[in-house]
Amino acid sequence: MLKETLLLAKNIRTDGYDGSLEAYRRAGGYTALEKVMKSMTPDQVIEVVKASGLRGRGGAGFPTGMKWGFIPKDRKPTYMVCNADEAEPGTFKDHFLINNDPHLFLEGMILGSYAIGCNHGYIYIRGRSVRPAQRINEAIEYLYKAGLLGKNILGSGFSLDLTVHRGAGAYICGEETALLESLEGKRGQPRVKPPFPATHGYNACPTSVNNVETLACVPFIVKEGAEAFKKIGTPNNYGTRLVGISGHAAKPGIYEVAMGVSMKQIINDLGGGVRGGKKLKAVIPGGSSSNVLRPEEIDIPFDFDSVAKAGSMLGTAALMLFDEDTDIVELAYRTILFYNHESCGQCTPCREGTFWLRNLVRDFRENLGDSQKLERIGRVSQQMFGTSLCALNDAAAGPIKAFVTKYPEEFKKHFI
Amino acid sequence: MPTFYLDDKPVEFQEGQTILQAAMAAGTEIPHYCYHDALSVVATCRQCLVDITDLGNGKGLPKLATSCSTQAAAGMKVSSTNQKVRDGQNIINELLLVNHPLDCPICDQSGECDLQNYAFRYGTGHSEMAYEKRTYGWRDVGTFIMLERNRCIHCSRCERFSMEIEGHHDFGHFLRTHELTFDTYKDHQITHKFQGNLADLCPVGAITEREFRFKKRAWKLERTPSVCPGCSTGCNITVDHNDGKVERLKPRENKDVNQWWMCDEGRLTYRKANDKTLRLTEPLARVKGALVPAAWNALLEAVAGKVKDLSASGDQVVAVADLDSTLEELFLLKNLLAGAFGSGQFFAPHAPESAAPAGARFLETLITPDKTPNAQGAKLLGFQSEAGNKGMEKALGKAKVVFVLGAPEASPALLNAARKAELVVQVAAYRSEWFDMADVILPALTWTEKYGTWANKQRRVQALRQAVNGPGEARDPLRILPDLMRALGQEASFAPAPDVLDRLAKGEKKFAGVSWKVVGQQGFTLA
Repeated sequence: MLKETLLLAKNIRTDGYDGSLEAYRRAGGYTALEKVMKSMTPDQVIEVVKASGLRGRGGAGFPTGMKWGFIPKDRKPTYMVCNADEAEPGTFKDHFLINNDPHLFLEGMILGSYAIGCNHGYIYIRGRSVRPAQRINEAIEYLYKAGLLGKNILGSGFSLDLTVHRGAGAYICGEETALLESLEGKRGQPRVKPPFPATHGYNACPTSVNNVETLACVPFIVKEGAEAFKKIGTPNNYGTRLVGISGHAAKPGIYEVAMGVSMKQIINDLGGGVRGGKKLKAVIPGGSSSNVLRPEEIDIPFDFDSVAKAGSMLGTAALMLFDEDTDIVELAYRTILFYNHESCGQCTPCREGTFWLRNLVRDFRENLGDSQKLERIGRVSQQMFGTSLCALNDAAAGPIKAFVTKYPEEFKKHFI
Repeated sequence: MPTFYLDDKPVEFQEGQTILQAAMAAGTEIPHYCYHDALSVVATCRQCLVDITDLGNGKGLPKLATSCSTQAAAGMKVSSTNQKVRDGQNIINELLLVNHPLDCPICDQSGECDLQNYAFRYGTGHSEMAYEKRTYGWRDVGTFIMLERNRCIHCSRCERFSMEIEGHHDFGHFLRTHELTFDTYKDHQITHKFQGNLADLCPVGAITEREFRFKKRAWKLERTPSVCPGCSTGCNITVDHNDGKVERLKPRENKDVNQWWMCDEGRLTYRKANDKTLRLTEPLARVKGALVPAAWNALLEAVAGKVKDLSASGDQVVAVADLDSTLEELFLLKNLLAGAFGSGQFFAPHAPESAAPAGARFLETLITPDKTPNAQGAKLLGFQSEAGNKGMEKALGKAKVVFVLGAPEASPALLNAARKAELVVQVAAYRSEWFDMADVILPALTWTEKYGTWANKQRRVQALRQAVNGPGEARDPLRILPDLMRALGQEASFAPAPDVLDRLAKGEKKFAGVSWKVVGQQGFTLA
């Protein structure tokens, strides 16, 4: 029977823990910050994060230490931006952290800001996440009062202000360059890369954009050292993941597991399998942008590399289960409808391709499908893949391609 | 210079140049819509995808990359023709046509449309899209342009022009997904003076000129490189014409003069070139107070006879020239006066120049207050120019013979002074206020019908080329002036503009080094 490995959710799983500054400090919070302020240079912080092998939890899995190391030392100001937009369908891990233990990621963010020499950080959160935004603002207020934010933190001479920025709720604003555009007050549209945000980010200054869960890992790494972090997980996939199980699961919710444990076990032991004793039909392992997996494909280690090897993506570790009654065509339609609606429209393949695919899949939904159309969905999604500026295009095309290649029989049911 | 390899051929590039820029400079076409030399790079049309098989370090890129946003690097290996690239180009083209109305038969852009050209060259030739297309409602966006948003391919050139070049930012994009639309704010109509450039930039027929709407199919147009006669900037243009009629003027790239741009006022000067009502088409002579048609030869002889009768001395002969006369014509006129009469009294009336707005955007400097194309040229040739000049009035008052070239700007006082002359010979293309006092009118060609050069505000000598034929008996002034000279007893014969320009360069110190060849299509700035 698989058990949770508690690293980020340790406090949250403690009875009576309310996520206040007092409770967080009682549980050993902000000792990492004290340690750093007393005895570590920014470079040492970057080094320890590099050594821990921490990879970004927002979806792409880019090594965090390396990302911080890209920030030029000679250009000021630099910015630390926390991506709390959490727009990926199926994902709710960041809200879980923010609502229940906001200081964990805030401590990580202060450490990160220190590491890259940032004196003003931004937390970008979507406008409709009212409660989490309030929660962060309250936490920040307490931090100022406690002298953990503001000028001269803990007498170290390091100053940091944090601002919560509430976006207007576009999916694309979770993409880091679109997020920065939005943060600058412009229309949220991805930028041309290069230049990358590490050199030309917020207001064309060096900027590092990090996910909430990534930052939440940092206090542990700093406090306990890189080796302690590396004891959890598998090589190149260290640490834990907050797995958000949703869909037709018996026990949906957030579970923290060490990376590399069996995905099947996560589903069956933690998620309680499919509700109502039904059979599993499909699993989406990392949010709606990741390719669907058939039940026979899920007996794999749950980490970045293994899921990628299986032809999908760990992404945000949002496991979505679908039982035998699910209409895959309906699922595909909802998916493409979402991406069509959220496409910013600047690139041709994404703007026109999602529109076309939506129409094609809708035909199947209305029982107007035929083999030619099925083939066409496969061709268009295949060809448009990888031709756009940002990943939204691929996030739309990839899953649709996977639906039609893995579940052709489901589509055939909707032939004319 | 460092080199990279495009389709296995070495291509030289400058540091900082993108693959697309270097390829274009080397003459290789990579299809593109959103990229334009004058505008920032957005890399959103995705048409310019190339396959970078080697970044110069032995490693390639797994995905196709946009050549407009990827800088060339030494030793880089790029393919713009392999199957992977072809597939990428195909799908982009197919997707662009998904919501395009394909109304080429009624589209003004048809024939010079990038989408059309690339679809033929790089597309698959068929579409499998079988759904209702996205359509937009009709909008009236500008005084000079029309917007047909259904044809839009969302390249955003119009928005970037408004933002980066023109400065008003009154074009922008609204909504998102396939409903994304480029438009002005609700009820806002564009009224600035550079709207035509939006139509030029638009790679498809989404923005077209009102003036050219439904007038001519683009493939019927012949394009003759020339210079705009509208003001002293002398924007480089092409005269687009068909069947002897000028249909429109389009800017022609010249980095030193007008870059890629042209004002709407300049575009409208084509109307006068087509004008029939004021055009002079036959030689006229004043008989008993009325102008009557005459034969060319007889009229020239009559002029010579009359001049002889008057036996005017040098200070009794005056020439007044219009500032849209070419350098060659002014030079011949000056020779005529000096050779036949020993006179140095040649004038080119000119309104005093007011300074152009300072610190303005480049685009605004294109429109100058001086509305003549060759004021600098006349000045360099020694034509006295001050309007209302007492000297000119005095000279005209004493004159027995006045030669008028074109329709010089003249004050009533000046006209009154000229009225007293015994003989007024005008060589002109259009009727003007001089019509009433001229004794002899010799019909001439206008700027779209002849060869010649003008010197603009930068003292840059730029060439006009003949696009269409002149009407009726109108003749090239380069032929009329030598004919007059011969009739007056000088040795002269017709020479084409390049030969006259050579003589001018030899005869006038300020024009040393000028020749038709160095002027070419981009002009030559005088020392």
